[in-house]
Amino acid sequence: MEEPAAFERLVYKNASIFHYMKICLVLENGRRNIEAAQFKQLIISGLRQLYGEVGAAFPFDLLKFDPGTLTGMLRVYNSGLVKLWSALTLIGSYQNELCAVRVTQVSPFLLALSGNSRELELDQASFTGEKPLLT
Amino acid sequence: MVRFKSRYLLCEVCVEDRSSLLLLEERAIYHAVKNAVARSHGDYGAALLILSYGVKYVNAHTGIILIRCRKSHYRNLWSALPFISCLENRGQKVQCSISCLHVGGTIRTCQKFLVKYSTQQLHRMLPHCRNEAERDEVRRAVLSCSLEKERDVEEEEDEVEDDEWEDE
Repeated sequence: MEEPAAFERLVYKNASIFHYMKICLVLENGRRNIEAAQFKQLIISGLRQLYGEVGAAFPFDLLKFDPGTLTGMLRVYNSGLVKLWSALTLIGSYQNELCAVRVTQVSPFLLALSGNSRELELDQASFTGEKPLLT
Repeated sequence: MVRFKSRYLLCEVCVEDRSSLLLLEERAIYHAVKNAVARSHGDYGAALLILSYGVKYVNAHTGIILIRCRKSHYRNLWSALPFISCLENRGQKVQCSISCLHVGGTIRTCQKFLVKYSTQQLHRMLPHCRNEAERDEVRRAVLSCSLEKERDVEEEEDEVEDDEWEDE
């Protein structure tokens, strides 16, 4: 007689030690040329204002940055996520210009940031009266 | 039962020049600690000190101070203490450093620790005495170190008397 197949379930509470955020900087007077280093300096200054020297020293990484659209991807340890997010929310100005940081996506897994259903563009052809694929 | 628990940090102020220690004032320490926490922990740290923060006891002769803060964020205050380099008092800047001796939940426990600590310090000072008169004085101070009897007014928990002892 065959033995019944063993069923094993693994549950991870904290699967990832990092959290990844996809953010976008929005300036009042439109886009400008901002380098990646300046962008990181802006975030650190926001952290310093809200959480002091101790908060500004917390390590986080700017993994990707697109100077054209001013979008970037941050990586931070789980313990610093709340502090970083709250500091990003309260960033008010960049070089005497009003600005805001919009957080598009947050996920403990980097792969989840590759697709976003909010920015998904559906193919126009699928809406016209064409034959369905399965007949 | 919900009660606001606080932590009392018993600290010692160290200065090179003992005479400048006599100028120690409550307000100077209050502002120095507040600024240090604001520098180390930012707006968040400064806001934490709005609740239940105060300097409860200052002894200008020995440089002992007692700082009170909430139990939930006494660590922020404690971590900012080493960054205090000078106290400002009426325009005069005194170079100093603050070290924490004891953390207690009530003033009474801090007082008990202070009495024990003071007797230890006196015992340590005895071999350093230069002449017999000083030695007698130190011995007398050690024997008279004790907690005074509790006052009748029990609700005044802030009123504590520590037996003053003369040093050197």
